[in-house]
Amino acid sequence: MHKLFMLLIALTTLGVSNAAPPEFTPVTPRPLVFPEDFGSHEVFRIEWWYVTGWLETSDQQPLGFQVTFFRSATSHDEDNPSRFAPKRLIVGHAALSDPKVSKLLHAEKSAREGFGLAYAKAGDTDVKLDDWYFVRQADGRYRTYTEGEDFTLELTLTPSQPLMLQDLEGFSRKGPKPEQASYYYSEPHLQVSGTVTREGKNLPVKGSAWLDHEWSSELLHENAVGWDWASANLDDGSALMVFQIRGKDGQKVWAHAGLRDASGNMTIFSPDEISFHPIRTWRSPHTDAEYPVEMRIKIKDVEWVLTPLMDDQELDSRQSTNAVYWEGAVTFTRDGQPAGRGYLELTGYFRALSL
Amino acid sequence: MNRNLLFRWLTLGEWQAHRLQIVVSIIAIMLGIAMGFSIHLINTAAVSEFSAAVKSLSGQSDFQVRATQPTFDEMLYPKLAQHAGVAQASPILEIQAAIPGKADEIRNTTLKILGIDMLRAITVTPDLLGVPAEDRPFDMLMEDAIFLSPAAMEWLEVKEGDALPLRLGTKTVTLRVAGGLVRAHAGQRIAVMDIGAAQWHFDHVGVLSRIDLKLKQGISHEGFKAALERELPNHYLVIETADQEKRIHNMSRAYRINLNVLALVALFTGTFLVFSAQVLSTLRRRPQFALLRVLGLTRKQILWQILRESSLLGIVGSLLGLGFGYVLAATALRVFSGDLGGGFFPEIQPSVQFDPMAALLFFALGVGVTLLGSLMPAWEAARAHPAPALKSGSEEIALAGLRKPWPAYSCLVLAAILTQLPPVAELPVFGYFSVALLMIGGILWMPSLASLFFAWLFNVFNRLSSGALAGLALARLANAPQQAAIALSGVLASFSLMVAMAIMVASFRISIEDWLTHILPADVYVRTEVRQDAVGFSPQEQQMIANAAGIERIDFIHSLQITLDPARPTVTLIARPIDLADPGNTLPMTDDVLASAELPSDAIPIWVSEAMVDLYDYQVGKRVTLPLSDEPQDYIVAGVWRDYGRQFGAIQIQLSDYQTITGELRVNEAALWLQPDMTPTRFITLMKALPFGETLTFWQPNEIRAISLKIFDRSFAVTYLLELIAVGVGLLGVAASFSAQALRRIKEFGMLRHIGVTRGQIYRMLALEGGLLAGFGIGIGFLLGSCISLILIFIVNPQSFHWTMQLHLPWQWLISMALAMLIAAALTALLAGRQAVSGNVVRAVKEDW
Amino acid sequence: MKNTATLELRGISKTYGNGRQVLSDLSYTLAAGEYVAIMGDSGVGKSTLLNLIAGLDAPDTGEIWVDGIALSANDDDAATRLRRRHFGFIFQAFHVLPHLTLLQNVSLPLLLNHLPLDRAETMLTAVGLKGREQDFPRQLSGGELQRVAIARALVHRPRLILADEPTGNLDPDTAQEILQLMRSEIKANGAAGIIVTHSQAAAATADRILLLTKAGLQPLEGGSNA
Repeated sequence: MHKLFMLLIALTTLGVSNAAPPEFTPVTPRPLVFPEDFGSHEVFRIEWWYVTGWLETSDQQPLGFQVTFFRSATSHDEDNPSRFAPKRLIVGHAALSDPKVSKLLHAEKSAREGFGLAYAKAGDTDVKLDDWYFVRQADGRYRTYTEGEDFTLELTLTPSQPLMLQDLEGFSRKGPKPEQASYYYSEPHLQVSGTVTREGKNLPVKGSAWLDHEWSSELLHENAVGWDWASANLDDGSALMVFQIRGKDGQKVWAHAGLRDASGNMTIFSPDEISFHPIRTWRSPHTDAEYPVEMRIKIKDVEWVLTPLMDDQELDSRQSTNAVYWEGAVTFTRDGQPAGRGYLELTGYFRALSL
Repeated sequence: MNRNLLFRWLTLGEWQAHRLQIVVSIIAIMLGIAMGFSIHLINTAAVSEFSAAVKSLSGQSDFQVRATQPTFDEMLYPKLAQHAGVAQASPILEIQAAIPGKADEIRNTTLKILGIDMLRAITVTPDLLGVPAEDRPFDMLMEDAIFLSPAAMEWLEVKEGDALPLRLGTKTVTLRVAGGLVRAHAGQRIAVMDIGAAQWHFDHVGVLSRIDLKLKQGISHEGFKAALERELPNHYLVIETADQEKRIHNMSRAYRINLNVLALVALFTGTFLVFSAQVLSTLRRRPQFALLRVLGLTRKQILWQILRESSLLGIVGSLLGLGFGYVLAATALRVFSGDLGGGFFPEIQPSVQFDPMAALLFFALGVGVTLLGSLMPAWEAARAHPAPALKSGSEEIALAGLRKPWPAYSCLVLAAILTQLPPVAELPVFGYFSVALLMIGGILWMPSLASLFFAWLFNVFNRLSSGALAGLALARLANAPQQAAIALSGVLASFSLMVAMAIMVASFRISIEDWLTHILPADVYVRTEVRQDAVGFSPQEQQMIANAAGIERIDFIHSLQITLDPARPTVTLIARPIDLADPGNTLPMTDDVLASAELPSDAIPIWVSEAMVDLYDYQVGKRVTLPLSDEPQDYIVAGVWRDYGRQFGAIQIQLSDYQTITGELRVNEAALWLQPDMTPTRFITLMKALPFGETLTFWQPNEIRAISLKIFDRSFAVTYLLELIAVGVGLLGVAASFSAQALRRIKEFGMLRHIGVTRGQIYRMLALEGGLLAGFGIGIGFLLGSCISLILIFIVNPQSFHWTMQLHLPWQWLISMALAMLIAAALTALLAGRQAVSGNVVRAVKEDW
Repeated sequence: MKNTATLELRGISKTYGNGRQVLSDLSYTLAAGEYVAIMGDSGVGKSTLLNLIAGLDAPDTGEIWVDGIALSANDDDAATRLRRRHFGFIFQAFHVLPHLTLLQNVSLPLLLNHLPLDRAETMLTAVGLKGREQDFPRQLSGGELQRVAIARALVHRPRLILADEPTGNLDPDTAQEILQLMRSEIKANGAAGIIVTHSQAAAATADRILLLTKAGLQPLEGGSNA
């Protein structure tokens, strides 16, 4: 459920007049097949691998991190024989939330696929963007490397639970219409170990993370302006994912939640069982956008409260991909009791994602 | 206060009485400074604009990797992108595309298109990104989108959303103008599009023109460059972006320096006029200064008086010159663009920038030169014995020093020696010194030469005739030769410069005409719209052209730019069928040729232009390597040919050899000889019916000749202008010195009138004097000018442009200019004298001075 | 060695570069207010003598004292300053600056000596050119030009007037007028005067007439004291 959706809307809705517009496969319910579905799906317009999580340095300081790789098809003419033809783009985002800095550190990178410099391979997870990568090894562990001006993340993610197929066994609806859907699975409770480099110093870190892998060709309702999404690795071993899609009037267009307990029992919730209630908003000094950084989410009869690790976890990439959103580490309480840690994503609060 | 009052009285009195001479002096200084300053401004504007434009094209890159040929395999890109030390590699494909219907026979009408990967370029050349419409953010990646600089939009008369047809080879592509650029240099015509789209649309799939590299922080540039050069095959060039300046500088250096020298020539002529005006005016006032000395002005006061007067002239003249020069530069840039028609700076439109430092320099130069011009006579006037100086007729004594000819001889001898020296930093520095010394020596020689000549003429005349007036005129010239010489030297300076320029330009023009006839033997030439088209004609298309009716013979030609030295501009490589037995049948060879029997079998023969010998030491018989193939291959310089088209060098090679070595079967030009029953016009109509007929451009030799000569004349327009100014300045000098002398001779005329000489006779005498003097000046000027032209033709041109030419004298033009100058000088003398003769002659006799 | 004489020549000799000796061991003393005429044959050295007195040329031997100050032949600036202050000149060829008005011409010595300029007008009136101050020399006759020269020579109250054939370019009537004016103005201004001339009539206007010969300066018999 991520920001590039919005950019994709731009691509698809522009009446591009090229000779051979690329055609994409619609998302229809089908069982996911592994390891093939770990890999890239070129026939779909958009795809991403999205890791969020909490880290702890050796001196018990908490850090939030996010590593994302997108693969996105453009509407460039399919007939162009050039190796440079920008038919697919690879985009990477990495961010680090350090309460001591109290401002999100982030890095981003984009390139057209090709020349072995940037790719998202089919068959198993293997994404590369210059020296950034996100790879799934034969033993199921992921390795990733990203670097920016302020930090470097070099992490290994080790699965501790089975895959979490979202919604209808991995067929995830995003709106009232059947074509508004994606294929979507998560890997919660990934054990993280690795190194964070800050100011030339290598800090060994440990923690837990959440991976989303999602792909689609068409997603959102035409009325949608943004969404609120959250996921949590709960202390009792269960995993929660919840989102709502907001319309122009600020009201919920669609919503979904899935909760899997430690023993693997999956419960999913329908849109009318879910409601989001802002508790506190934070106005960004960078963009003047106002985000509900503290949120109360009601799922059926359980009340979850999300509290941010720090307020300023806004990601401002107006210089490149033109997306401005809030993506931050949060702690969860369930009915007032500490329940776990996760990530909250708030999009569409800055000029309706500048569309 | 008293001292200033005295200065004011003396200065104002003098100036009010001699307004014309003052105005002439000011104009002379003004013209000299204006020419120098305007050419400096034009050069600076053009070069800084050009280098700024080139710099903006390379953005913030640290290095550019190019190949010796225009394009190279794109697989170098991933290697460089992953190279240690490289932070970003930005691949670029440069295309020169034609605009259908925009053809112009002289100006460059291609559009430079940069195919870029926006996601890579964003950190290297951020200015070069297209700015898409707000609702189409991804147009930078679209295959049908092109982004134009404002100047390009204006030139092509298109706006965002319009369709823009572009042509390369025989193919026409229509792209959509999707927006402007983030930042383009004012006046710079460029277009930007996606690199993948550019490769596809312009048939350049698989190749790049350059890769811009940005290094990671802390990487040593020298170390990186050395390492990369070691790793890459040697047909790749690793160019530090900072070095580009040098290359740009080299490209136009000879041209700019020659213009600067012309400006200096104008300044020199102006200086000379100022000098002679000051000498004459000081001489005229010699008795006045003597009187002031008697009345009690010290030497220093006299010296100051003269220097202050002349510095005032210098200041006024220089200020006017700066203003006029600025206007001149602005006008020239607008009318002729930055290269003054020379074609060195395409794609930019420089505007003149006022440069305070240069203005100050030229101002100081103007004032300094004026002061210098009056220093010598001022010194003499201050040192003179007042008692004898009070008496008129003492001026010749003052000038006696000029009669010594040895400084003139030493100048001339030194000039002759300097002609033998080689160029300095590829510039004919000594050649120019030699020209300057010739001028100075010639002028210094004038007094003694004039004395000898007129004395001889007087003697001859006395023996042959008894015409009283002519005798008077000659007697005066023979007996007051120093003053005559000073009046003369203005004529001498301007006429000799004019002769030198005329001979050089004529020789050059005739040599070019001959050369064009030689290099254009065919009846019709055909090519695509872009010169040295990177795509050109495919073998099938060549077949279709060759199959056309009425062709007796067809030569296909492939030409391209290759780089042999990254610090120098590119060299043109021309592959065409060459008559091995006698290359002179194909090329305008010099005598420097290897006989075909002497050619070794293991080396491919090439024929090089004269510039290659000078710049790269490609001597005949020398084995060289050329970056045409991956496998090493020896080439041998088989001959040297004359090339007036490419001063940076050109190499000819057999087309078959070229095709074997490179595997490149495309060509970009064809020379066609027609059967006797086929006319070029009919043939062109036939060719236009080919499937790609409308993309063809046809040239007939006479058209090319006409166009080439038009370009030639245009680039020499500045020379003509300078010549005219030199002549004008020379005539001003004649007018100034004659009117000065005529005023001083009022008494003489009065006496003549008293003894019964009519006014008409005095006029005739004056005209005769003026004519004789000018005639002598013109004669010597002709000799001097011819010598200078020899230096220009045989030393300056080969050393700065690396081509030789044959000497041709434009007799008709020279004679008519000489006559015009003679008549103008006689008339000037007459007019200047009229004023004096028409005054009160009785009074004139009474006055002593 | 103080001396009240306006001019004292002590053993002056002068030989030109070509070996021609013009003056040899010439001595003479001119008292203040004395007005003498010097006559002699052409080439005997009259003009040379005037140039030496004026400091425009240096004697080979001997000394020249002007108003108690020794003329230094080697210091041109000092000689110039002396000339500027103590001498007035009247030439045969008038020698006025053509581009200055009459008033400006007459004012020149005042300017050079940093004196008030108002005396120039007085002098022009005295020589009979009142009302013509702004005229230029070209508008004047020869006699009028010489009047201007007289005014200029006396305007700064010099001690000694040197006149070299002042009437050589004038017709006899005008010449007589000018000579009288010169004499009366020199006397009126209390200056001494030396007039060098060929003309008996001109010489006759002086207090004494001296004859310059190779032997030196000698009073001419029959000199008038008009």
